Amino acid sequence: MTGNHAVAHAVKLCRTPLIAAYPITPQTAIYEKLSEWEASGVLKGIMMRTESEHSAMASCIAASLTGVRTFTATSSQGIALMHEMLHFAAGCRAPVVMANVNRLLAAPWGFWADQLDSLSQRDTGWIQFYCENGQEALDTVIQSYKIAEQVYLPAMIALEAFFVSHFMEPVDIPEQEQVDRYLPPMDLPHKFDIDKPGFVVPVVSSELYRKYKHMAQVSMDSVKEIAGQVDQEFKKEFGRGYGIIEQVMVEDAEVVIVTAGSITSTTRLAVKGLRKQGNKIGLLKMRLFRPFPVEAVQIALRGKKKIAVIDRNISLGSGGIFCQELRAALIHSSDHPLIYSYIAGIGGTDVTPEVIQKISLEVMDRVDPFDQPIWVMDG
Amino acid sequence: MIEIKFRGRGGQGAVIASEILGRAFFLEGKYPQCFSVFGGERRGAPVFSFLRVDDEPILLKCQIKHPDQVIIFDLSLAGEMEISRELKQGGIILINTSREIGSFKELRAFKMGLIHAGPIARKAGLGDTYNTAMLGAYVRLTNLVNLGTMIEAIKAMVPSKVKANIEAAQEAYQQTKIYEVAGISLS
Repeated sequence: MTGNHAVAHAVKLCRTPLIAAYPITPQTAIYEKLSEWEASGVLKGIMMRTESEHSAMASCIAASLTGVRTFTATSSQGIALMHEMLHFAAGCRAPVVMANVNRLLAAPWGFWADQLDSLSQRDTGWIQFYCENGQEALDTVIQSYKIAEQVYLPAMIALEAFFVSHFMEPVDIPEQEQVDRYLPPMDLPHKFDIDKPGFVVPVVSSELYRKYKHMAQVSMDSVKEIAGQVDQEFKKEFGRGYGIIEQVMVEDAEVVIVTAGSITSTTRLAVKGLRKQGNKIGLLKMRLFRPFPVEAVQIALRGKKKIAVIDRNISLGSGGIFCQELRAALIHSSDHPLIYSYIAGIGGTDVTPEVIQKISLEVMDRVDPFDQPIWVMDG
Repeated sequence: MIEIKFRGRGGQGAVIASEILGRAFFLEGKYPQCFSVFGGERRGAPVFSFLRVDDEPILLKCQIKHPDQVIIFDLSLAGEMEISRELKQGGIILINTSREIGSFKELRAFKMGLIHAGPIARKAGLGDTYNTAMLGAYVRLTNLVNLGTMIEAIKAMVPSKVKANIEAAQEAYQQTKIYEVAGISLS
């Protein structure tokens, strides 16, 4: 099945009673699958067909605050339109779960993979995961409910357009009983009681606003540990685990390639090839992006001399966003490594093992720091 | 790993065909990975669909530039030189055509299968949807999946006219003409 259908299966397995969404390519297949199941009675929840992504998120927030599990899926222009409500979801401490299919932002128009849409939302207070294939997207949706409902923060699962959303591959669908055992029903302590109407989002004093923000930051920080635990419990139940980051042959690596999303998968293959040729290349996969797993990254990259971050996104005037975050995370490391920012795969351009190999060998030869992003124009 | 490219037009069923073939390989214990690239979301527009098959999960998350096999639903979409350039050495080509092998001058370096799938599909009552006929021809040409497995995959995946689709696959299997390199007939 495709990555989109894998996500739809996860939502069904989590018994999500309220789904509010607006279709947008390349996410539409998630919406269509859930609609199909709603029509046939397989899905026990309600699909709200809203007039915009902004309204879809508003609906999810309101429903979530009554204590029910909620889901929406979007992409590109859709998540951009949702922006205001993303802050509301986090501020209201509503554990909404959303899948975002990473698609480039216009202009110019296109449907192709690019992580800028979700990365542009990094400061909204949402937990963010980046997935390399459909199986991981399915598993991460289930895990996200478990995390979000412990910390009362919304969670976003990012999967790239086409390379994940439309790649059809074998996916293991967990048994319903397993998911029920793993994911208890949602229990929100601050849920609304419709018989005793209340008011949400009142005007607060500066001091109170600061207090709420501080509390949210403390909760967000706790996600690094909780996401790790939730992943371990997942592995016990389902036999698959991912970690908040993953290290592949990093220990003796002279150059570590850092990736997020589907490029990670191709890099696994490229690293195998490079190792066979005697090049000591390692791979660090970034799965959790918000909160940024600073401590885990520091430990994983301790003593490393050279790092290349491959970003399928660009913050114009700065560089690759994963690279910015990584540089910031390692700023206090002793023996601070050289960190190069490679921009590859923008707008859905192809990142082949050859491209990764070329980056790796180039970094092997580099000796001087280089602040600017390095664009890969082949592929 | 085998990399297969399907070349067709929107509405001819090339995408579904790649998915059915992927399912057939899956039923035989292989790991398929299937994806499509559309020129535009409309009937008649060029459509490329791709299938990778391996004995283990496929890590590649990128396009197929040089396939091992190409399945051509519509010859008007590509010249022989283009097909010849994109195919790997030792590659295999399946073409839906009424032409004779002698007319494919530029493709003599490849093993080829020729099938006129349209009439087979029409005779089976499928109108212009000849993708299952192409799959029957593929089985005969490559011998990489069993016809029985292919029929099982067709049963599981075609949205309607299951019996007619199976008949079309079986008939095309019989009618496929196979040529080793340099146009030497094997059938």
